[in-house]
Amino acid sequence: MELDDIRGGRLDVISEEGEHQDISRESSTMEACYVVPEPGGRTFQRFSVNTNESLRFEPCEDSCPSPTAAEDDVFEKGEFEGEIIPVRNQLQGKVAEMENFAGHLEEIFLTVEENFGRQEQHLEQHYNDVLQTLSQRYDERATGLQEEKKSKLESLYGQLLVCGQALDASKVLIETAQEIYRCQDKRLFLKTVMPIIKRVEEFAKEDIDLTLATSLEFSTPLADLTDVKTMMDSINIVPAPSAPVINPQLPNSATQTSLHVCWSLFSDDTVEYYELYYRPVLEDTPADSTCAPQESKVKVKETHCTVTDLLPNAQYELWVTATNTTGISPASEKALYMTVPSPPVIKQRECSSCPEAALIRWESGNTNPVDSYTVELSETGTVGTESNITESIVAVPTCQCLIQLQAGRQYFISVRAVNIGGPSERSDAITISTTGTFFYLLEDTAHPCLSMSEDGFTIFYGDEELPITAMAFEDNTFTRCVAILGDLIPVRGRHYWEVEVDEDTEFRVGVAYEDTERDSYLGANSSSWCMRHIRTPSRHKYEFLHNGWSPDLRITVHPVRIGVALDYDRGTLSFFNAHLEQHLHTFRCHFQSYVHPCFSLDNPGALTVHNGIAAPDYTVT
Amino acid sequence: MALTQVSSNKCAGGFQKVFEHDSTELKCKMKFAVFLPPKAETGKCPVFYWLSGLTCTEQNFITKAGSQLAAAEHGIIIVAPDTSPRGCSIEGEDETWDFGTGAGFYVDATQDPWKTNYRMYSYVTEELPKLINSNFPTDPDRMSISGHSMGGHGALICALKNPGKYKAYDATVLAGSYSGPQLDILIDQGRDDQFLSASQLLPDNLISVCSEKKIPVVFRLQPGYDHSYFFIYSFMNDHIKHHAKYLNA
Repeated sequence: MELDDIRGGRLDVISEEGEHQDISRESSTMEACYVVPEPGGRTFQRFSVNTNESLRFEPCEDSCPSPTAAEDDVFEKGEFEGEIIPVRNQLQGKVAEMENFAGHLEEIFLTVEENFGRQEQHLEQHYNDVLQTLSQRYDERATGLQEEKKSKLESLYGQLLVCGQALDASKVLIETAQEIYRCQDKRLFLKTVMPIIKRVEEFAKEDIDLTLATSLEFSTPLADLTDVKTMMDSINIVPAPSAPVINPQLPNSATQTSLHVCWSLFSDDTVEYYELYYRPVLEDTPADSTCAPQESKVKVKETHCTVTDLLPNAQYELWVTATNTTGISPASEKALYMTVPSPPVIKQRECSSCPEAALIRWESGNTNPVDSYTVELSETGTVGTESNITESIVAVPTCQCLIQLQAGRQYFISVRAVNIGGPSERSDAITISTTGTFFYLLEDTAHPCLSMSEDGFTIFYGDEELPITAMAFEDNTFTRCVAILGDLIPVRGRHYWEVEVDEDTEFRVGVAYEDTERDSYLGANSSSWCMRHIRTPSRHKYEFLHNGWSPDLRITVHPVRIGVALDYDRGTLSFFNAHLEQHLHTFRCHFQSYVHPCFSLDNPGALTVHNGIAAPDYTVT
Repeated sequence: MALTQVSSNKCAGGFQKVFEHDSTELKCKMKFAVFLPPKAETGKCPVFYWLSGLTCTEQNFITKAGSQLAAAEHGIIIVAPDTSPRGCSIEGEDETWDFGTGAGFYVDATQDPWKTNYRMYSYVTEELPKLINSNFPTDPDRMSISGHSMGGHGALICALKNPGKYKAYDATVLAGSYSGPQLDILIDQGRDDQFLSASQLLPDNLISVCSEKKIPVVFRLQPGYDHSYFFIYSFMNDHIKHHAKYLNA
């Protein structure tokens, strides 16, 4: 808040109009300073701002000059007080604001001191450098000059010596000649005079170099002070920035295709703009650099940037440089950021449920592995809209999750993939209803002669005979019995489902262990239990098979809708005529592991599985 | 309508009692057995009527069939009457084991000298229920009928002739031309039953008629079992449970 604001601000003043007959005269010195002479004796509170004295309150006098009834007095006093309070509050507010401002000023003061200190240091260093360089240069030049002088003197001295020698030689010659001239012996004279004359002549022919060996002048090369100049110039220019510091990735700042990157300046550098570089980190970096991933660059002015158009669940290397008029800073350290994964895809046909739980399976949705998955569920309201109840299961390591639920409700369940960058968007939700037990059929166990309806709940055994060669047997398919297993949720407790058949279909329905022999018939071994219907021209026959044995039973009304009730805890598997609510038979067996519903057709026909039905009361033992 | 208690034994948490009374239908003193489960002390219970086979009295069932534990568990009163009027001094009544004394066949005789006393059908369907309902903590709307051998026949004919009266039915004999509320019949037959091998019992006929008439029956042939109370004992639990499903619904 600016000081001006305070100065210019006006604190609201109690309106005087209509309150009292004794309207005060406003002071001529405005500036939010009101003084009220009140002949009646009643004074309003006034606030003085922008005076040298501190805020001044003029007390209110309670005497009431109202000429009317005494009640007016109380009434007006009450109003009076009522209006004081907001004004007082406002004042308090202003005081607080000013205190804040004062504190802020203090901070600024400290920062200025710091900055000054830094600048001073910087300057000292700079000039010191310059001075040092200059004195270095001086020393060099001085030394240079000295050496030049020395060499000149030496050469001159040399010359001098030579001259001296020449002089001496001449002298010797002349003396020799004179000696000879003075020689009395004419014969000797004649003998020696000619060589002497020759020598003298020769000597006289010699040119005497009278030029000076060296010049008298000293060379003064131009001093190269460019670097000193640069240094001095650089005092005036702002230095290039130092490398910025790139921050590590903040949680929840990334999306599937973007990353939010932040960095900060190492020091108080002036920066014009930043350049953020990024490139994907590839799994296998090839040896040669020709296939190196492409580097991309973004120019920003702020200390953060959101990079878009990235791949999901991918790692990127990022670094940033700062640039100002002087130049570019060195690059910051390289940081590794990761985009968030793509959302998973729930595999509808591989999910199953029962009143207490649901098993959800999904596809990762990402080619590379993710760290974990988060499963989210919310209960739908009675109207079918999402209610606020939400539960999250985190750190799911694989692409499936068994969730505990409450019976008789409906839930929306979705999954997110999670990596260091954060969680992905929610997958499309699946609706799970915890009424009864619900499962799909395991297509990969189906005998090749079985075909399935589109909704996956009716199986058909066609009339056409497929040749053996045309039948594609896989590891998991039934090969003799035209059968299929159901994907019952592996949860103990009670399960119930119904099977719809017609008058003539020969079928087997029941349960079997997951590893029941695929080349055997349902009920013929110890790993399966089933009810079998055989149709003869005259009647229906029924068997309840396990280990190839069945009790001897007759049933008079052919069931077209069979209820199957499995109770792990009691160790029972019961069959009912669902339309008549009639109990047909119960196997008693202690199941060693989880079982799967099994269905087979022994003659061409069809069979429909109905599930998601709450177990009727009559099926509960 | 006065009842005299003949015996009472604590059994399976409840009481196995035998009563005697003067029967108006049969014009003689008749005994019947009543099992009262623990639940009868505090509330009303449904009633399961058991009709015994040839030569039996009210004693055979309560000592040999092992019904009390299951009845106590499901809170059901079991009434087991005698199989015929006794001490009526009718000529010829003791001549054969399968006619006369101990062989009432649960029908009302139409000829002399039997027709005065031999009215077991009326006794079982009218007099006895009235007597039971006024003297014991019963739920008069919930009763079922069951039996062995001749009693099975009796159970069936009582049920078929009184559609809707009995909540659950059990029989070993021919079904008639029944039309009424849906039945749910459970039949056990010992495979080694001498009467079966002697073709005195004809379950196949029953089954085929019921198949035709769409009367729901589950008929179980139990290997190794005979006609005796050992056989009855072995499957009594299943039958009481079958009845309890409807009586306690």
